[in-house]
Amino acid sequence: MKKYLAALLAMAMTVTALAGCGNSGSDAPAADNGDGEGGETYKVAYIARAQSDSFAAWLANEMIAAAEKYPDIELQVFDGQADDAKENAAIENAIANGFDAIIVQPNNGEAQRPYVEQVVAEGIVAITTNARIEGIEGASSVDADPYKQAQVNAELALTQVPENGKVVVLKGPSGNFHADERLKAWQEVFFAARPDVTILGEDFANWNKDEAMKLMEDWTIAFGDIDAIVSMNDNMAAGALEVVKGNPQYADILSYGVDGTAEAALLIEEGTMTATCLQSAIDLAELNMETVHKLLTGEETQIDTDIAEVLITKDNASEFVEMYRERGQITE
Amino acid sequence: MKSGKVGQVMSKYSIFFVLLVMILISMLMNDKFLSTRNITNIAVQLSVATILAYGEMVLIVSGLLDLSSGAVLALAGVLSVSVYKSTGNLLLAVAVSIGVSVAFNMINAMFVANFAMPAFIVTLATQMAARGLALLYTKGQNILQIGDYAKLGQGSIGPIPIPVIFMIAATVVIWYIMNHTKLGRSFYAIGGNEEASVASGINVVKSKYKAFLINGILVGIAGVLFMARVNAGLPNGALGYEMEGLTAAIVGGTSFSGGVGTTSGTLIGSFIIGCLNNIMNLQGVDAYVQQVVKGGIIVAAVLYDIRFKNKKAPKVILQKKA
Repeated sequence: MKKYLAALLAMAMTVTALAGCGNSGSDAPAADNGDGEGGETYKVAYIARAQSDSFAAWLANEMIAAAEKYPDIELQVFDGQADDAKENAAIENAIANGFDAIIVQPNNGEAQRPYVEQVVAEGIVAITTNARIEGIEGASSVDADPYKQAQVNAELALTQVPENGKVVVLKGPSGNFHADERLKAWQEVFFAARPDVTILGEDFANWNKDEAMKLMEDWTIAFGDIDAIVSMNDNMAAGALEVVKGNPQYADILSYGVDGTAEAALLIEEGTMTATCLQSAIDLAELNMETVHKLLTGEETQIDTDIAEVLITKDNASEFVEMYRERGQITE
Repeated sequence: MKSGKVGQVMSKYSIFFVLLVMILISMLMNDKFLSTRNITNIAVQLSVATILAYGEMVLIVSGLLDLSSGAVLALAGVLSVSVYKSTGNLLLAVAVSIGVSVAFNMINAMFVANFAMPAFIVTLATQMAARGLALLYTKGQNILQIGDYAKLGQGSIGPIPIPVIFMIAATVVIWYIMNHTKLGRSFYAIGGNEEASVASGINVVKSKYKAFLINGILVGIAGVLFMARVNAGLPNGALGYEMEGLTAAIVGGTSFSGGVGTTSGTLIGSFIIGCLNNIMNLQGVDAYVQQVVKGGIIVAAVLYDIRFKNKKAPKVILQKKA
């Protein structure tokens, strides 16, 4: 009995999957499942890397907000749970469910590559975002370039870090694309050009504020004077600054991050932190929706685009504090 | 160990000797290791993990465990921070953290004690649920500008940082409960032999609830200290902290078979791990190498402890008290 039931279930699933593929394969990219007469609606799936990391969660929220501006787009968000297998399964499900476009924020670009290729092969509009997966024929991409985001900070540091300066480096998770690219920019733009600078300590704080605090506490004891904190994101820079705040020995410490979080904008405004580069989830989401709309309406067939890097320093920090205040992330 | 007395001392305090040797070596490697500032630093860094470790120790002694403590800490912490932000009432905020954590632990206790589900599975499930709720409530974003709440984690009373005061208080209370109360003896008894405990008239279900209650209070306090220390409400904070607590308890001689474990051992276990992290950071040991060394030294420390421990010692304690 159970065996028959399983077989029946498997058959039903295959039929549904095939129906889904056929549907979007035959007349994609134009959707035929509009719910009003005349008005066409495009079904778009956004597969987020993880709803649990704060940037990815912010991006997912902004995607929903940006999609509301397009009455003909119906967006559904899926969670990859920071797991390649789960993310790949979500892509497969979206293909089977007959979405007109699938936007993938990869957990690990190479692991998702064959699945995005499958999306393209089914004739479904495919976009990879934050970070893009390079070189998929027929897929589009929207991204912020992590190398450039660190580069603008590193260029600023070239002029600010004193001669024979001593720095500590806080790294993101080992093997993470953005963490690696940001570090590479620092190495090529800053450390290669400044052989006088000594790296006192260098360790993984995995994007986390609390891990960065522990490292900085130990480093201040071990090394005494530190001229600059080079961090691959704002969370870790904020953690390191938490340790030295109010300590006159570190009153002039320089600190660089990436992301442009609400906390970093506040710290830069009050003069505690030096600079960060905004990776704006708002811009990224809006550009994604604009791109997917152009592709779905057939205005263009392939787009690769980047949002601009915005360097935040004391000169312009108040603008971003204001932006976060409007979004309710800063309340005071 | 050959003469009875030395052997007894060595077996009773073997894990303490491991810590002493580590401190000695660290001292020789780096002259800053034993500075007052570094000792304070280690103690602050360890306070949250040690408080969690006491909860794990109480549970493991009772034949239970908690995999949800890191996630429950995060949920209790972000709710507490947000209550403080909207009311400005610190006492209420602390009460919320403890209340939320106790509520989750009562759920754990219900499934474990009343429905006889394994603690491993139940607390794994509450771990997911609590982390999910923390993320849902904050929409995955950190809560900033927490004002004076941060003083609980960053301030000091006299020369002693507030988190360390909480750690010391927890040490005294847990030590007292485990060594000088009927409740403490019932934990050792139900973890050592549940059936015998039932036969001897111990209310096993009630004792399990109480073990989770103690853990709940400790996790709630840890939630406040953690968020106050990082000066933010981090829904992703304390990831994997349950493992830090478990490791400290186990390194400190708590046995997964239940019925064995001490407060002082757990404290020492926590310091062994803390000193190890600290000296490797002071010496600038490569991050990958640190992980390998940590794994190796934990195994070596526990192996030494097991070899030197007179295996009858914990059972004698049990017979005397149960």
